[in-house]
Amino acid sequence: MKTLFLVLLLFIVSGCSEKLVRVMPYEKEYFAQDKMSLSPVASRGEQEGHIFLIREASAGGESAFQGGCGCR
Amino acid sequence: MKKSIVIALLLYVNIFAAPRVGDSAVEFDLPELYNQNKTLNSQALQGKVVLLNLWASWCSGCQEEMPLFVDLQEKYSKNNFVIVTSSIDNVAQSARDFLDRVDKEKQLVSLYDAKKILPKTYRCPGMPSSFLIDKSGTISEVYVGSLDNKAMGELKVKIDKLLEE
Repeated sequence: MKTLFLVLLLFIVSGCSEKLVRVMPYEKEYFAQDKMSLSPVASRGEQEGHIFLIREASAGGESAFQGGCGCR
Repeated sequence: MKKSIVIALLLYVNIFAAPRVGDSAVEFDLPELYNQNKTLNSQALQGKVVLLNLWASWCSGCQEEMPLFVDLQEKYSKNNFVIVTSSIDNVAQSARDFLDRVDKEKQLVSLYDAKKILPKTYRCPGMPSSFLIDKSGTISEVYVGSLDNKAMGELKVKIDKLLEE
């Protein structure tokens, strides 16, 4: 009975192996694509940043330019 | 009974252990990147010092170190040293496009590992991964991540040492 338990445990534990639960570095081709990045289009990211500054009526949070005191 | 279970467990763990320094390099028979009808068997590399590089065109670290490998191969072209690069790209053309820009003289031995057999067998913890293999086919050094100029200098020292053996 103990042996059976140990064998079962072995199979269960092997299911948690790193290979099964983690995307391995050599499997990350799709993650490396530009479209998978948080801001895939650089020009659009810049535009969104500009809109963010206007909407929030503050500067500095988005870039190093100005102090971020909201007194622009 | 307990002893046999422990031995069985140890064997089980050992089966899945990655090859390390001092172990025999993994044997392979992979198609060439530029001519997939032709294959290269690892047996053909016996007696040579080999740097096996597992890379992909989408991996920025691989892109950085590849020109250094081209220079290294050029430097050791008259020695018994060969750099074997194995691409794991899903599309072979991506790898070819990159190498066409970097290795114009086709100095590197370029293989294509579509099924990612080598990184799976070596259980690569990162990309790129390189393995320095001595003349007898034993892993002499493992490099995970891209090699910079400093690391390349250290690698040259190790290659020279292995070539003298």
